[in-house]
Amino acid sequence: MSLDTSSNNGTSKPERKHYDRTKSDDLQISRTDMNMLIMNYLVTEGFKEAALKFQQEAGLQEPALCSSLDERIMIREAVQGGRIPEAISMVNALHPELLDNDRYLYFHLQQLQLLELIRAGRAEEALAFASATLAEAGANDRIALTELERSLALLAFPDPHTSPFADLLLPSHSQKIASELNAAILKMENQEYTNPKLCSLLRMILWSQSELDKHNVKYPKMTDLANATIEQPK
Amino acid sequence: MQQLTVFMDIESSRTYIDELYSSDPDKVMEALVTLKNSVIGSNRQKSSVIQQGIVPRLLQLMTDDCLDPTIRLEATITIGSLAKGTAENVASLVEHGTTIILVELLKVVPTGLRLTEACLCALRSIFQHPPAPISALPADMRFLTRLTQIAREGSSTSRACVVRILSIWCGGPIEQEALCVAGACEAIAALLAMRGFTSPPLARALPALDLLAAMCFENANVSQAVINTRHGEKTIPELLTALVSRDKPLSVARGAARCLTFIHRAGALASDDNRVVFGALPCLARLCTKEMPEDIRATAAETLAYLAEVDTALQRLAAISNHLMSSLTEIVVCPSPAAKQGAFKCFASLGANDEDIRKRIIETHGVMVHVVNGMNNPEPAVRLAAVRCLHSLSRSVQQLRTTFQDHAVWRPLMQLLNDSPGTELLTVGSSTLCNLLLEFSPAKEPMLDQGAVEMLCNLTKRPEAALRLNGIWALMNMAFQAEQKVKQRILCTLGTEQMFRLLGDGDTRVIMKTLGLLRNLLSTRNHIDAIMAEYSSQVMQIGFQAVIVVLEGSYPAEVKEQALCILGNIGDGEKAKDLIMANEDVLRKLVDYLAHPESKLQEAALFVAGNLVWRGEAGSAARQARLADLGVLRALKLLRARHDAHHLHDKVKTALAQFSDFT
Repeated sequence: MSLDTSSNNGTSKPERKHYDRTKSDDLQISRTDMNMLIMNYLVTEGFKEAALKFQQEAGLQEPALCSSLDERIMIREAVQGGRIPEAISMVNALHPELLDNDRYLYFHLQQLQLLELIRAGRAEEALAFASATLAEAGANDRIALTELERSLALLAFPDPHTSPFADLLLPSHSQKIASELNAAILKMENQEYTNPKLCSLLRMILWSQSELDKHNVKYPKMTDLANATIEQPK
Repeated sequence: MQQLTVFMDIESSRTYIDELYSSDPDKVMEALVTLKNSVIGSNRQKSSVIQQGIVPRLLQLMTDDCLDPTIRLEATITIGSLAKGTAENVASLVEHGTTIILVELLKVVPTGLRLTEACLCALRSIFQHPPAPISALPADMRFLTRLTQIAREGSSTSRACVVRILSIWCGGPIEQEALCVAGACEAIAALLAMRGFTSPPLARALPALDLLAAMCFENANVSQAVINTRHGEKTIPELLTALVSRDKPLSVARGAARCLTFIHRAGALASDDNRVVFGALPCLARLCTKEMPEDIRATAAETLAYLAEVDTALQRLAAISNHLMSSLTEIVVCPSPAAKQGAFKCFASLGANDEDIRKRIIETHGVMVHVVNGMNNPEPAVRLAAVRCLHSLSRSVQQLRTTFQDHAVWRPLMQLLNDSPGTELLTVGSSTLCNLLLEFSPAKEPMLDQGAVEMLCNLTKRPEAALRLNGIWALMNMAFQAEQKVKQRILCTLGTEQMFRLLGDGDTRVIMKTLGLLRNLLSTRNHIDAIMAEYSSQVMQIGFQAVIVVLEGSYPAEVKEQALCILGNIGDGEKAKDLIMANEDVLRKLVDYLAHPESKLQEAALFVAGNLVWRGEAGSAARQARLADLGVLRALKLLRARHDAHHLHDKVKTALAQFSDFT
């Protein structure tokens, strides 16, 4: 993920009008606030280098990096690199109660480990591993069981990458688990928002618009969040 | 490629287990970390480790202060993970003395260390498994002060753990007072405080709210201390009021409203205090609405029931808040026993005092059918709550008799009462029966067939005063204006001996109701003579002995008054008058009471005398002569002359007028 927001510009249709920003001059948003929001995004999501660079360029104070930022980056790298035991060991060192409290998350990490074995073609080890460790979670949780079955089904195909369950082997799957784990760590540290504040702001726009829609109110509607495109009411 | 050592089964990796016992600290450390990583997240691994007998070694590593602190820390963390296993896992940890060792460690380890945090986490996990080993934590002031200090100054995990442990530990006045003295109120205030505009995080606020509720419950002293405790500018009730608002997480709002409720019921906040009326009450009513999750609705209804239980103004206010009654009608049909229970209790509270609310509960919201269903629920707690609700509604039995009759509520009630119920159900159930028996003439017959009289007479023999009272009270109501055969059945079943035992009861209220029963058994003229004829010796024996026992004994005035009224009732029957006149003791007593300083005794004695001297009845002249002889006439004249008996003058005059031949 990155701050790349300029890729699909220029697609807005001619009848669309951008909201007239001169009208709301009295509602000035300070540059500091904007910078803080961006910094919050970088820090929460664990873009440490970008955060430090941004701090330099924008002339901000030392960013309020959470104590666990370095660890979270290392854990994310380990998860996305398929080094699951290492990741689990780091999580246990950082927050020993986390994986005991959230058994579903623990299951997801073990599932990633299973997928690593399958990816490496070590079918026998994969089966042994599944019955020794993952079976426990599957027996206690129906959703986990279904997910376990999908993972093991990969073994039935000569080339798992072309199977209907190939999505599990894509990097996006381990990224998803890595984000899940990152959010769980932040929550453990009593962070108010485990999501970047920018996300909350955008969600608030969507929520307000859906409330207005419910009441059939006509208003200039933001139809494209990435470009802040606003469509006038017809 | 990564190896799988971290996930290896304990059974297949004896080597590192062996290394736990090594004398080389590095090997022990390595083995501990492997062990820790294998048990975290897996109950199966936890059970296996416990079965292999590793717990004592871990406890030993934990407590050995010659060891490297990190070894002690890792051992403690591993114990903490084991404590997050199954109930059996926790039980076996407790058997190994883990709780006591943790407590001892907490007494000596400096509070800022990670070891302290790990101990607290482990102890918290053990405490969260019922039954919590509460006795392992003594009410030792030095230790409690240490814990509350951690609750104020420790790491956020430590703070949350300490407060959670204490909230489970705090189960009575001794713990409540001890925590208050140890500074728990200040710690709670700090945990509930806002930081700028941000609310305290859930993990911190929820245990603090639970501890606060546990400390305030039925404790006036502690609640008083709580309302005077400040954090910064704000007192605890003010902090709580901020937490009941709509923008707060539901569980926090519920917890805060519960605390305000407990503080109010303990007497520290008045029922018209804004924080109760505009804080707790509307919040709870909102949490009962349909949009809320079922568990929130269930507990909110239960808390609201407690809030409004005794105060009529709060009941009226709640009844019109946020469509509460409709919300409760929805909760009562929720599947969970907790929800049904909460709704029944809340209906019971709302209708406790106000006739109009009860009418609306029954007529607008059709609750009676749910109550009858509830009394047949397989869950005992739901049956009890349904009976509580019926008890409350039955106070309107005279106004709402058709509804009670249409649903034949007495049928399931009698069934519950005959089905060897617990004391609590028996107490509420028999109270309800008392109310139902006031009215309900059509149901009396089938109730008799179901053994109501026998059941009630048995109640009068119970060791619990409340049950004896309900039994005799219900019998008294049953006898009120009842047919003669009902009265006879009561008399036979209860028996003279039991009646006298009840007249000597330690509880004055039981004596009063026993006399009340006698009075009802004897009242109305037709019946009296009929009863006198058939049971004359028996009833006279009971009646007179009762009266004499009471009039001579050191009973409160209200009991004596009741006894005189019985005498008056007997004196109302024709043949019975002769029996009174034949007993000089009683007549002399009458003279004494006409001159008694207690006005209600004068009045009761006057009622007896008035009946006896009434002119125009057979033998009235002879009675008047005898009474004048014994000094009744003189006593009446004295009474007329008394200024403090002014309100009786008309009655005295009427009585004196009967004596026309003698004045």
